[in-house]
Amino acid sequence: MKTLPSVLIAAGALLGLSMLAWSQSGAPADPAAGTPQSFALLDPDNQVVGRYSIPPDSDILRHANAEEILYGKRLLNETARLLPDNVGGGLNCNSCHLSQGKTDHGANYFNTINSYPKVMPRAAAMVDMAGRVNGCFMRSMNGKPLPVDSAEMRAIIAYFTWLREDVPKALRVDTPSEGKIDTSLVPDPVRGKALYAAQCATCHGDDGEGMKDQFGDYIFPPLWGDESFNIGAGMARTYKAAAFVFYNMPMGVNHKLPIGQGGALTQQEAVDVAEYFTHMPRPDFAPKGNDWPKGNKPKDARY
Amino acid sequence: MNTLKKILLAGAAAFAAAFLIAWSTPYWYVPRLEAEVDFADRELIARGRYLAHAGDCAACHTAPGGKPFAGGLGMQTPLGTIYSTNITPDKDSGIGHYSYADFERAVRRGLRPDGVHLYPAMPYPSYVIVEDEDIQALYAYFMSEVAAVSKANQPSTIPWPLNMRWPLGWWQLAYARPRSFEPDPEHDASVRRGAYLVEGLAHCGACHTPRGIGFQETALRDDASGRFLSGSVLEGWYAKNLRGEDRGLSTWSADEIVNFLKTGRTARSAAFGSMADVIAHSTRHLHDGDLRAIADYLKQLPPRKGREARWTPREDTTTAALRAGDYAARGALQYVEHCALCHRLDGRGAPRIFPALADNSIVFAEDPSSLIQVTLAGGSMPRTPHDRMAFTMPGFAHLADRELADLLTFIRNGWGNHASGVSVRDIHQMRREIAHKPTHYAPEAQQ
Ligand code: HEC
Ligand code: HEC
Ligand code: HEC
Ligand code: HEC
Ligand code: HEC
Repeated sequence: MKTLPSVLIAAGALLGLSMLAWSQSGAPADPAAGTPQSFALLDPDNQVVGRYSIPPDSDILRHANAEEILYGKRLLNETARLLPDNVGGGLNCNSCHLSQGKTDHGANYFNTINSYPKVMPRAAAMVDMAGRVNGCFMRSMNGKPLPVDSAEMRAIIAYFTWLREDVPKALRVDTPSEGKIDTSLVPDPVRGKALYAAQCATCHGDDGEGMKDQFGDYIFPPLWGDESFNIGAGMARTYKAAAFVFYNMPMGVNHKLPIGQGGALTQQEAVDVAEYFTHMPRPDFAPKGNDWPKGNKPKDARY
Repeated sequence: MNTLKKILLAGAAAFAAAFLIAWSTPYWYVPRLEAEVDFADRELIARGRYLAHAGDCAACHTAPGGKPFAGGLGMQTPLGTIYSTNITPDKDSGIGHYSYADFERAVRRGLRPDGVHLYPAMPYPSYVIVEDEDIQALYAYFMSEVAAVSKANQPSTIPWPLNMRWPLGWWQLAYARPRSFEPDPEHDASVRRGAYLVEGLAHCGACHTPRGIGFQETALRDDASGRFLSGSVLEGWYAKNLRGEDRGLSTWSADEIVNFLKTGRTARSAAFGSMADVIAHSTRHLHDGDLRAIADYLKQLPPRKGREARWTPREDTTTAALRAGDYAARGALQYVEHCALCHRLDGRGAPRIFPALADNSIVFAEDPSSLIQVTLAGGSMPRTPHDRMAFTMPGFAHLADRELADLLTFIRNGWGNHASGVSVRDIHQMRREIAHKPTHYAPEAQQ
């Protein structure tokens, strides 16, 4: 084979060049590797004074009360299964506080511990941390309050406290737990129904009934019916729900971290679909008469 | 002095001979096959369109955002990027001036009308077995129905002298000799049809068969070596073993294969990476009969010795541990934090929405490349008319190498899966591979 040498030379040159190509790429391939998502930290005058990075769960293990924090994390993730006496339907706290409360426009818990106690318009009174948690238990979870001094309440608060990292009370992580929505948009529930069928029903079910796993726990939470949140929940209000949906639903549809959420609907569409599902049948909230005792009831309140 | 001269002379003569032989193959080795093709035959054209789907011509000849078949898709080689060409019937920049013989030689033999050898990135080593009437239908379709686009071809970035094409003549003599389809008389009609498609137009082996030292597919049909479709890595995707083997397709039924090729998902798996593209552009357009034929053919591919189909899951201890809040296993905490929302504590995902990781053959495949890449870069299922929505997984490149290695080792050994671990080095290498993916050339996308 006289041709062998030329083939060998060519092959050698090929090999050499390819090694060169590889060696040139020795620098770190991905500068973002190992860097968690972070946000500006603002002081009371809205001046940037630092950054807040979402701590990875592995950071929990550094803390003396790691076990308590992890218990809190579990309770928030798997509330319906672990606290059946306090949860009325099938939801978990993190059905709305997406991805363990670490999602920038998805009802995150970044500023939670630093925000309480505070005066809430709905109660027109001072509400403390445990009181706020129980607000969600009674309304969003259509359930019963947790005893304020229970191990479970302490664990949930321990998780919020850990997530704050060491941000002092006066500062604020610059990302809303609830995104902005144009409340002047007029909802059209008929369009909303069609949107629901196209964009939501695959996961939340044709009748809003959600989808369960082999153990009967919800994979996708119900959006209406007996197992869903009651009319006293913030999520039952059209524009609160629309803000949540606009930034977060559907999920699993793009590359946005942490769960590929949002970006598929216009604000008008979010308002339409929110009007549709919030007004489907759902549990009542008996003590609703006590809300907004001083007036100023928002226009989308359900009662 | 004299001997040196002799050696130099012999070397030069050998080189000249090598060059001349390779350069001249188009003239003596590959005859021209002329044929009359009727461009008015609607049925022929429709068949050509179907076959263009089966051959997945668009996957390579349409750049992302570019016009159909106008070329410009960049493909990575160790030496540089080569670009697919314009195969619209434009007279100047496309193949408008091709006669049938020109077309046939390009598609089946890898030769341009001017005698230039084509890179085997164009899968002519597989297309060579496509029958004449199918090539004629393809020709009729491309010349009469594809819209002509004027767009010049993009030269490769391979530097001189490596960009000389005549050595490809030798490559073709070695690895892409003329041959035709040889059906196995023992096979029934469906398996035979499946073999014709898989080995030929559908060129499944281009990705799923391991490559040899010359970058050739080590088997172009199911032979005694058992290498055909036994799994290979291309552009960082592991196109896995499709044989009836332990970690091949032994855990799949023929129905599942049909469902996967038609809709891009099954109840427990979803196509991603380059396979998602194959389904989106090609297999979802195929008739049920042809998909069934492909499945029947794959299901009868015998295992190699020592790799008999006996993969069974171990006992699942992961689900109970995670549900009990036991995150002690390495990677478990990260799994719950980043992945469990979709893939769930029981590793079963949600049917046709989020693939299962338990019992999913791509998760416990021999080579973890595909898992690493999909976890770093994310992926989208192909969209097909079968399902209302198609879902995407975001990429997790922001996690540290160590975390990712632990995570992937965890899922490869969770819920009864068992497979080799993934190392920090594996993750690092894949990051490099992704950073060096070629860019595509589609000027019309910017307009
Ligand atoms: C149906 C959806 C839903 C469910 C379920 C839910 N929440 Fe909420 N939660 C919300 C919304 C909406 C807000 C208001 C967010 C805002 O106004 O920024 C909120 C607010 C809160 C806040 C105040 C956050 C802050 O920073 O001011 C806390 C604390 C809270 N929820 C805890 C819980 C807990 C604990 C559970 C489970 C027992 C739970 N939530 C279940 C929707 C829900
Ligand atoms: C890919 C599946 C998927 C799609 C599609 C989807 N969701 Fe969701 N949705 C989820 C998941 C998952 C959660 C809860 C997250 C968790 O439990 O961690 C959720 C939670 C919600 C919640 C808060 C919990 C509750 O029960 O009220 C609302 C409201 C919601 N989705 C509305 C919508 C709307 C409206 C659409 C369509 C525009 C939609 N979703 C589409 C998966 C989906
Ligand atoms: C896996 C990618 C791939 C697929 C699939 C593919 N091609 Fe190609 N094709 C290429 C590349 C790359 C080139 C250019 C090769 C070169 O420049 O040497 C090419 C070149 C060609 C040429 C020569 C054009 C010219 O003048 O340069 C023709 C004709 C052609 N392809 C037709 C087809 C047809 C018809 C199909 C479907 C049956 C098809 N190709 C499928 C990658 C592909
Ligand atoms: C462009 C490269 C490419 C081509 C061509 C290709 N595949 Fe694939 N295939 C892949 C990759 C990469 C994977 C792994 C990703 C996945 O499972 O979706 C895969 C996965 C698969 C799987 C799923 C295996 C499993 O265990 O999850 C099947 C079945 C399959 N291919 C069949 C085929 C058939 C049949 C053909 C020919 C019609 C084909 N492939 C052509 C790249 C390719
Ligand atoms: C937002 C939901 C979501 C999250 C979070 C998520 N995945 Fe996925 N995963 C998907 C979807 C959707 C696919 C199918 C992607 C495709 O077909 O291209 C997928 C596919 C996969 C696959 C390939 C399996 C197959 O058959 O297609 C693996 C492996 C995987 N994911 C691992 C992970 C790991 C590891 C994590 C955590 C770091 C994770 N996923 C987080 C939604 C998710």
